Amino acid sequence: MSVSFTFLRTSARLLAPFILQKKKRTLYSTILQRCISSNTPSVPSPNKESTLPPEELELDKWKITMKSSVQEDDVSAVSGNKEEDPLAATRELIEMWRLLGREVPEVISEEELKTIMECPSKSSKKKYLKYLYIREKAKKAKQIKKEMKAEAMEKARNDRLLETAKEDKQQNFLFLRLWDRHMNIAMGWKGIQAMQFGQPLVFDMAYDNYMKPREMQHTISQLLESEGWNRRNIDPFHIHFCNLKVDGAYHRELVKRYGEKWDKLLLTTTEKSFVDLFPKDSIIYLTADSPNVMTSFKHDKVYIVGSFVDKNIHPGMSLAKAKRLNLATECLPLDKYLQWETGTKNLTLDQMIRILLCLKNTGSWEEALKFVPRRKHTGYMEISHHSQDLINRLKKLKTFNKFPKGSLKSHTQK
Amino acid sequence: MNFCFTSIRSFPKLWTSHQYLGLGPGQSSLAHLERYCGLKNQKKWFSCKTVSPQNTKSNNLLTAKARYLRKGDEGNNKQVSSESPHFFAAGSAKKRSQNSHPSKEQALLPSRKSFQVPTKPLTSEQWSKLQADFKGKAKFENWIITQMVRAHSSVDVAKSLLAWVAAENSGIVGYDLLVKYLCLCVFHKQTSEVIDVYEIMKARYKSLESGANTLLIRGLIHSDRWREAVLLLENIKKVMVPSKGNYNDCIQGALLHQDANLAWSLYQELLDYELIPVLDTFKAFFDFGRGMNDDQYAKKLLDILLYLRNNRLYPGESLAHSIKTWFESIPGEQWQGKFTTLQKSGQCLGCGRTIETSQLSSEEYDYLQGKIMKDVIDGGDQYKKTTPQELKRFKNFVKTCPPFDIVIDGLNVAKMFPKTRESQSLLDVVSQLSELNLRLLVLGRKHMLMPSSRWRKDEMERVKKLASCFFADNISEDDPFLLYATLHSGNHCKFVTNDLMRDHKACLPDAKTQSLFFKWQQGHQLAITAKLPGSKVVFQPILSYDTVVQTTGDSWHIPYDDNQVERCSFEVPTKWLCLHRKT
Repeated sequence: MSVSFTFLRTSARLLAPFILQKKKRTLYSTILQRCISSNTPSVPSPNKESTLPPEELELDKWKITMKSSVQEDDVSAVSGNKEEDPLAATRELIEMWRLLGREVPEVISEEELKTIMECPSKSSKKKYLKYLYIREKAKKAKQIKKEMKAEAMEKARNDRLLETAKEDKQQNFLFLRLWDRHMNIAMGWKGIQAMQFGQPLVFDMAYDNYMKPREMQHTISQLLESEGWNRRNIDPFHIHFCNLKVDGAYHRELVKRYGEKWDKLLLTTTEKSFVDLFPKDSIIYLTADSPNVMTSFKHDKVYIVGSFVDKNIHPGMSLAKAKRLNLATECLPLDKYLQWETGTKNLTLDQMIRILLCLKNTGSWEEALKFVPRRKHTGYMEISHHSQDLINRLKKLKTFNKFPKGSLKSHTQK
Repeated sequence: MNFCFTSIRSFPKLWTSHQYLGLGPGQSSLAHLERYCGLKNQKKWFSCKTVSPQNTKSNNLLTAKARYLRKGDEGNNKQVSSESPHFFAAGSAKKRSQNSHPSKEQALLPSRKSFQVPTKPLTSEQWSKLQADFKGKAKFENWIITQMVRAHSSVDVAKSLLAWVAAENSGIVGYDLLVKYLCLCVFHKQTSEVIDVYEIMKARYKSLESGANTLLIRGLIHSDRWREAVLLLENIKKVMVPSKGNYNDCIQGALLHQDANLAWSLYQELLDYELIPVLDTFKAFFDFGRGMNDDQYAKKLLDILLYLRNNRLYPGESLAHSIKTWFESIPGEQWQGKFTTLQKSGQCLGCGRTIETSQLSSEEYDYLQGKIMKDVIDGGDQYKKTTPQELKRFKNFVKTCPPFDIVIDGLNVAKMFPKTRESQSLLDVVSQLSELNLRLLVLGRKHMLMPSSRWRKDEMERVKKLASCFFADNISEDDPFLLYATLHSGNHCKFVTNDLMRDHKACLPDAKTQSLFFKWQQGHQLAITAKLPGSKVVFQPILSYDTVVQTTGDSWHIPYDDNQVERCSFEVPTKWLCLHRKT
């Protein structure tokens, strides 16, 4: 009897979503009412009292089964208990957390486990576990997507095979299909041009002491992305990685990420400081803390971007550096053009280089500041203060100049 | 608009009910109509609030608007009432923020429509039916037990749920369900049930995680098997540091079963982990010691009080009561406790004794000065807040001047009154202080010297005549200079700013130095309280006493937190417990 009953229930469960999708709106309220009404009658129904005693017996039944089913498992439990290894204990703890539905990964490697043990506080442990959990989830989702894609590809290929079998027609083409390679070669040419004649753009790599491993990884990712954006541009910068210590943290990560391409990159890496490479008065250090606002992009200057992801909030780090070296500083005119909402004014390195590239090519701030994340501001200023000032000044000038000009004209006419 | 709409909607209803009421033709139906509409509207208005979130939002907006209007009146009232709490007094920051912003607390929290959790145990069929009706992302049983935990429903209902789940899954109940159930049992203090679950968990799982351990500890300490709670604590320790809540539970358990030695050793362990105990732990010790004639125990309790003193902790109201009753219960020593406040001079209103001064001892002073120099101004990189050249210039400047009496944060003072010109308000303050024949130092930035509409040259010249001035670079920070100049001038020197200096306090390396800084700040900061620039500037009187747990041997003075007042971290309590021996 019980079998048939469960079957019924599962079928109901299957049906429910189906119906819901059909007419969600109308059903919603009725289900809600049913939901509530189904609880309330259980309270006042008088004949319930008589059925309670047998129920009472049932209430503790699960405990017996839980306890009794245990004896079989006991053997394995005892054998595991013997070694009291903190690593194993941590692994068990994480496993139990997973049962609780906490955000912890399913699979943990030995190395990760050691990192967890080394975390100084409880919250840092949890944070790291959550990071692992999210990473694992993303990996899995990617795997599934990959499989689905492969399936679709397979299907498409089969279809195509059928098609080609049907019509075996020769076609005339002008080019072989080698676009990616050609693109790369063209970019390489442009890169070499930039190495010879391009405007320098310096990434200052002297912040390795202020960053934790995670921040360093983010920095390197951003550097990679920036280099990519630069490569694809019509008129790339000549990128310099200055203060890049060989076998320093930056160098290690970069080589790891770029692999063998590292030595073929069309940019200059040096252990020297930018102060040694370029004349001091042509250098402008870009930092959000600067009191000076950048008004226009100057093609004869060397702009410096600190490759520094600062999650710990060391305020004024790059400004202090520029002060020490006695360099000019500038910040982007974000407040002038954008209605800032949230977030820091520190932009990522790739956003920075895209803004600079756009400025270099077009010179328009509106165009360039499109690369500022949309979530950080609500929109552009109606008329920027700057231009409004200009208009006002022009108006004033006009009213002043009107009279003498007119008189001059009248003079010449005479 | 909302109003109109609802009233229109209520019309058809009106007609039907009108007929239903069966009014005679002679009665004026118009008056009825109006009254009816009004009533209906009001009802609708209130029901709207609870039903749809959109309406709540608009309602909130309305209330916010109303508050905004009211705020103006409040502001006016504030100006009239001159009695304001001390700058660092508990709750004053909240009051200040309420003056400038409409408080957000009054805003209605959108009440989430809660699901009606069953109040009686259900049969399997009923659970199944409920499950069929349920739709949501989570698993039904997890979701429902979470709701039950939230609503604190009775253990029997949860039990019936578990029975149903077990029946469904061939006698197995998931770990998360067990933990939630345990949570309910612990909440309802069902000790036997807790022990049952403990047995099940012990049998089923090799080890438990911290959440279940915490719950088990809390549940077991009331039973005879409370010693196992301490074992569970050991289990937690294997992987991570137990929380202070865990220790609190174990200590409570030990005291409940008269094992004071264990409780004290656990307490010591807690301190060794550098955890700060919960106030309830202290309270348990004081409650336990009531009426006990044990010198060792009494000494340990006094150690707790010293711990409070050293860490600048303040007991809550209930702990203060416990401390009072313990003192009064000591046999042989006739203690008398009173809840009082202090006079401004620092005299206890209860016994008339003077509270400790807030002056630092000379070693403390030197230590603080060094730390400020090293961590706040220098901070490992002199270029961050200033430049070495400027620092040198400043040090030379301070050295050549005789000690100052008052150091003024020029920019902070000048920006105090938004309606007056900056240089004018600075001059007002400086001239008022100089009348008292005090040696003044005004700190500022160089841009103050550039003549502009805000900074008039003649006024700045007069400021320079009345006081010594130091102007830092525009991109340097002036607060560290202020701190250093004040500390350099000596203990008598005060500084004028309304800045709470929290960011500079945060630069200090450890809590001890920070509290030292705070103590010094309390005793040396002159905050401006006067709102009207036309009148004389009024300063907040400096607290001459130090708000900290303290003793003179035959008396104890213990500041405590009132239950009603919410205190910010940088504020100090205003209420005191005064204990002294009857003579």
